[in-house]
Amino acid sequence: MANISGKAYALTVLSPIKKGCIGDTSYQISYADEVQSRLHGLRDCEDSPLAKVPQTYLARFFILDDVFYESTPGCDPFCNLLDILSIFQDRFRLLTLPREDHLKSRYLVFSSNFHGDLENYLRGMWSAISADIKNIWEHCVAFDKVQDAEGFITYIKRCQLTANLFFNGSTNDPLEDDSLEEQLKALYLKQQFAKFAVSHQGLEAAELQEAFRAFIDRVQPNQLAAPTWSPGQSIP
Amino acid sequence: MTQQLDLPDIQGNIIRAYGRFGFPKGRFFFLRIDDGKMGRDFVGTITKKVTTSVSWGPDGIIPKPKAAINIAFTYNGLKALGLPRASLVGFPQEFIMGMKERKEILGDNGPSDPIYWDKVWEKHEDVHVAIAINAQTPENGQPLEYVEEAYQWVKSQIDDSHGGVVLLPGHRGDDGQEDLPFQDASILYDDHGQPCAKEHFGYTDGIGDPVFEGQITDEYRVAGRGKLTREGGWARLGTGEFLLGHPDEAHEYPKAPAPILLSRNGTFMVYRKLHQNVAKFESLLDAHAKSFPGGKELLAAKLAGRWRDNGAPIVNTPDAASKEAWDQRFAAADPRTRDGMLADFRFDLMGGKCPIGAHIRRINPRGSLEFGQDGAYDTPGALDDRRRILRRGLPYGVVRDRGSDDGNHGVIFMALNTSIERQFEFVQQQWINYANDSKEGSDKDVLLGNHNAAAPSKMVIHADPKSGQPPYFVSEIPRLVETRGGDYFFIPSMTALRMIAMGKVDPT
Repeated sequence: MANISGKAYALTVLSPIKKGCIGDTSYQISYADEVQSRLHGLRDCEDSPLAKVPQTYLARFFILDDVFYESTPGCDPFCNLLDILSIFQDRFRLLTLPREDHLKSRYLVFSSNFHGDLENYLRGMWSAISADIKNIWEHCVAFDKVQDAEGFITYIKRCQLTANLFFNGSTNDPLEDDSLEEQLKALYLKQQFAKFAVSHQGLEAAELQEAFRAFIDRVQPNQLAAPTWSPGQSIP
Repeated sequence: MTQQLDLPDIQGNIIRAYGRFGFPKGRFFFLRIDDGKMGRDFVGTITKKVTTSVSWGPDGIIPKPKAAINIAFTYNGLKALGLPRASLVGFPQEFIMGMKERKEILGDNGPSDPIYWDKVWEKHEDVHVAIAINAQTPENGQPLEYVEEAYQWVKSQIDDSHGGVVLLPGHRGDDGQEDLPFQDASILYDDHGQPCAKEHFGYTDGIGDPVFEGQITDEYRVAGRGKLTREGGWARLGTGEFLLGHPDEAHEYPKAPAPILLSRNGTFMVYRKLHQNVAKFESLLDAHAKSFPGGKELLAAKLAGRWRDNGAPIVNTPDAASKEAWDQRFAAADPRTRDGMLADFRFDLMGGKCPIGAHIRRINPRGSLEFGQDGAYDTPGALDDRRRILRRGLPYGVVRDRGSDDGNHGVIFMALNTSIERQFEFVQQQWINYANDSKEGSDKDVLLGNHNAAAPSKMVIHADPKSGQPPYFVSEIPRLVETRGGDYFFIPSMTALRMIAMGKVDPT
């Protein structure tokens, strides 16, 4: 399935947002604009709700207002023919104009690249940030039926699109994608080792070995949980 | 047919780095225009004395002037001179914003923040006109005589404007002054009082200035200064990288305002006053010289990519023995061969000779961003050819005490390019203050980077992989260069200057 590359999963969700406005006559805002406003209010980096969702490599929300208008192709022989025919009748010229497509509603787009399978991921997401989920999805069509993790999974699967563009910064071997914990630990180790190398250069072998042992004791390469780089962390 | 530039239409500082043509002294000052009509009259008068790019005697049309005068404008200046809105809106956004508002992109933070700049930049919307004087030195013991003559002449034109044009004070001076009406600059002199091409850190500067189509220069200077071809040779860069209204390296005309007569043969100038923390530089070198194998001078050479004494490229002189042999060849060589030895080289793939983070490798990678994968791009320098800048700067101030960072000394950095955003700003943001392209993570250029102690940078001095030696890490790098002011200017052609002066800029 195209959504999966090794153990990495690319989830793309389009949830239609209700049409119409919230509010009384004095202040009105469309549902989609309200969702947009709530997204703008999300905190980022370490404080992002997505930093609390286990196994997330990279995720984002945005509002899809409409599809982009594509203008006339530059060198289409058929269009050229119609252009010539337009000498006789204007309707031929109109035929060369591109068709305008529009969406039926505005959508909340949630796109996430994560490690593992979809249901476990969504279950973890619900248990970590259900209040945020309710706040973000509140105005999407039929989201009011979602009551628990299982309902969320069913809902997301109905809104899911097949997508195969990955961004997960993972290992080269698609079958060996490391879990998020392993990636974060690797990032932490890389940073710490660079610092170690810089601050211990030029030592005698014995001294260096001793320092390296102390370094290993401190950074605990086999302990994924801690010390490590925390999700969303932006400053070393 | 090859490109023939209209040299009398192009301001002289675009084609020539005056410092290399016997003009060791510079004076830069900035004006505000309070009255459009008087401002245009002033521009008209100055235009008649502006130095163009025509060649000088004995074969040239005119004799070499004692002083060269050039003029440039900020966006606000062009507005004050009454350029039509339809022309103004055609200027690139970074030029409209000005340097101060681009501080996030340029990394002008901490001690480089505009709040610490010279006072002349405090109200940057008041800076309208830049005048640059570059002068020869007479043999009468009055080295600034020609500078002063030209300056007094411009000043008398300012006076004649009856308040329409105002000279802006607010430059820091060498003796603690805060409010000088001009910024002086000068090439440095060696211990014997001889002029030299060095800056205050002791490096030889300005060797690798780009060469482009139509520029009158000896053909041998193209090697190492132009663009790399797939066959391993060198060719001139597209004129449009440095002059508006000509095709650039993308075979397009660079973005420029209408009408074409306003922009053609003009370009954009970045003016930056960069203070050099000489004491911090010396102590960084001293601290690492103790542990760096090869000693202080080799370390200094690794940071920059060139040896300090004569500019020898480190890639061809990676150790004492090769440097000695190079020096001997250099001493015996004719000027043309010497030029080739300084300019014509490429970098080693692994950085064992010239570190990947060395200053000259960062700012002009000479095809090394292909990382040895020949054919990765259309041409070896596809990633660098559109990031080149002409450098027209001069050092300023005197270092009286190499044990102190205080004082007023550094470089008046002037970069010329047709797109400040694509060329100068990109190099500053991506290659000076960041190193993703060169695969050096977030390490910054040791010499020019905006280092800060909270997120310390480092530089890896790679060892030759075959040597079995470990790499060397330069750490705890302090901020060696601090911005003290500057802005973005448009250098119009002579035609455009006359149009501006006459109020005849018509974009319709």
